[in-house]
Amino acid sequence: MNSKTSHSSTYRYEGCTLTGALSVTTAVTDGISIIHGPAGCAHHNLSLIFATLLDQESEPLPALCSDRIGEQEIIFGGEEKLTAAIRGAVRDGYASVLVLGTCVTAAIGDDIASICGQDWPVPVIPVQTQGFLGGVFSTGFHNALSALAGLTPAIRERGEEQGEEPCVNLIGEKNLEYEVDENATEVIRLLDQAGIGVNLRFVRSISTGEIATLGRADLNILREPSLATFGEELQQRFCTPYLDGFPVGLGGTLRFIREAAALCAVDGIIAIEEEEAFQAQMLGRFERIRGARVRFSQPSDLFTTELADQLGLIVSSDGAPVQVPVPLPVGTTGIRRMLHQWRRAIDA
Amino acid sequence: MKQIALYGKGGIGKSTTSANLSAALAEQGLGVLQIGCDPKHDSTRMLMHGTWIPTVLDLIRERGGTSLTIDDVVYTGYRGIRCVEAGGPEPGIGCAGRGIIATFQVLEQLGAFSADVVVYDVLGDVVCGGFAMPMREGYAEEIYLVTSGELMSLYAANNICKAINRLTQRPKCTCRLAGVICNAKNIEREEELVREFAERIGSSLVAYIPRDRIVQLAEVHKQTVLEYAPDSAQAATYRTLAEVVLKNTTLTIPTPLEMDELEDLAFKYISI
Repeated sequence: MNSKTSHSSTYRYEGCTLTGALSVTTAVTDGISIIHGPAGCAHHNLSLIFATLLDQESEPLPALCSDRIGEQEIIFGGEEKLTAAIRGAVRDGYASVLVLGTCVTAAIGDDIASICGQDWPVPVIPVQTQGFLGGVFSTGFHNALSALAGLTPAIRERGEEQGEEPCVNLIGEKNLEYEVDENATEVIRLLDQAGIGVNLRFVRSISTGEIATLGRADLNILREPSLATFGEELQQRFCTPYLDGFPVGLGGTLRFIREAAALCAVDGIIAIEEEEAFQAQMLGRFERIRGARVRFSQPSDLFTTELADQLGLIVSSDGAPVQVPVPLPVGTTGIRRMLHQWRRAIDA
Repeated sequence: MKQIALYGKGGIGKSTTSANLSAALAEQGLGVLQIGCDPKHDSTRMLMHGTWIPTVLDLIRERGGTSLTIDDVVYTGYRGIRCVEAGGPEPGIGCAGRGIIATFQVLEQLGAFSADVVVYDVLGDVVCGGFAMPMREGYAEEIYLVTSGELMSLYAANNICKAINRLTQRPKCTCRLAGVICNAKNIEREEELVREFAERIGSSLVAYIPRDRIVQLAEVHKQTVLEYAPDSAQAATYRTLAEVVLKNTTLTIPTPLEMDELEDLAFKYISI
């Protein structure tokens, strides 16, 4: 996840801590996210989420509201208004209330945690966000995951919660990326080949009650290595080991199956053989571009070098421009989608 | 219209000095408007004979800014002095600095800034941009620092000098330092110390107000000294201050001291 603050690195999935946290909290299907701040903060973020959901052809809109802090609350403090907003959310029957702060409420020092700590009939969870103060998108993203994980009781040793069938959690999916569900589907396919199920997508279209099952998995699979700190946090809380990223690259995908199988204590040999065959078949479909001259959109790395070798591509400054997506495609089917685009670029 | 502001460390006697200065100015037949810019909202209380007048911010909170009239926010006190209290949040919540900005916006909309002399009594230190607003936006043109000879009081005064110095770098900023008022705490060689401080920052000591029990007596009687003991020496001191303020045309851009210089200055006047 890009955590740079330079404008040159700004793109669609960046934003302040609030945006990062909302990309997580709005994926709790029966909860509501309350933004303690000006209405504009909710407007801008809801616009982004709405646009993303249209892209993903998902619906409905998540429950998201603002307590509409104005000049008076900035001068006199906004805690009363937040209390009223939480009370309204509870009355409306939401299973959980996730409270996120903004720059303004951080600057005036409203004590969100203490209001959330009152005796509410449903979980009211403060998420450490302060708009652009105290971090960037990724900070808010991590803080939201951490706050939600707090809904699950800690586990002292493995086996206390685990079922008989091996299963994993998918941790920190990027709900604002275009192919979030396609990527998860690919990971689920790879794991299924090894007889491993998915316990929880944390956090992607799950209910408040489901969060309580976070500790039941044999393995946590992080969306990307930047979440390693959170992986460690979960390991501390639930004694669950983790893999630090979704599979990337042909060899990386096979390695992913091997490591996941080992950590879930299952035999992954057949799954790896099946995937090798699947990869060979997939590459065969692109035989027509073998020997083509290409120019990558970013400097060569292990990912592009591997594919260039496998497909016999010649990397040259006068080659056809081909895009390497950011983030990199997930698994074998992610590569297949990308190769379709490469082939179109080469044929153009 | 003359617009002056008194800044200084909390508890140094800005409100007492402001109220007595306003009273002395009013005695000369001038129309005076005193605006308290402190959440404590006690600046004008002696002028109002102990009455706590509604603050602008409380009124905004209760009724909204657009429905207020000038009579809602301006109250007439001793010798026709018009009194306003900005008010502010309870200690520990909200943003008092933003409250000052909102208050001035409302007063501007109501056309409240009309007087021969406007006296701004501003919170102890320029803790944020909101409290610099009277200076920054050209409301307070002549700044008086109220200080004693105590180091922390001088430190606060020096900090305000830094704010004035910084603000005067801006092309449209009209505020200048008009002088230093020593509100004495009966420290040895206090007048000499504060006088040297004033000169070192590029200004001058415009008044030395001795510590006098009559001030406390006037306060418990909910009056200014000029009203409670008009023939007292202390009342005469405030009248002299008013004359100096009216005639004062020596406005400077201060040169704040470094902390080491300030400490050396305080050390110089203390017998060990």
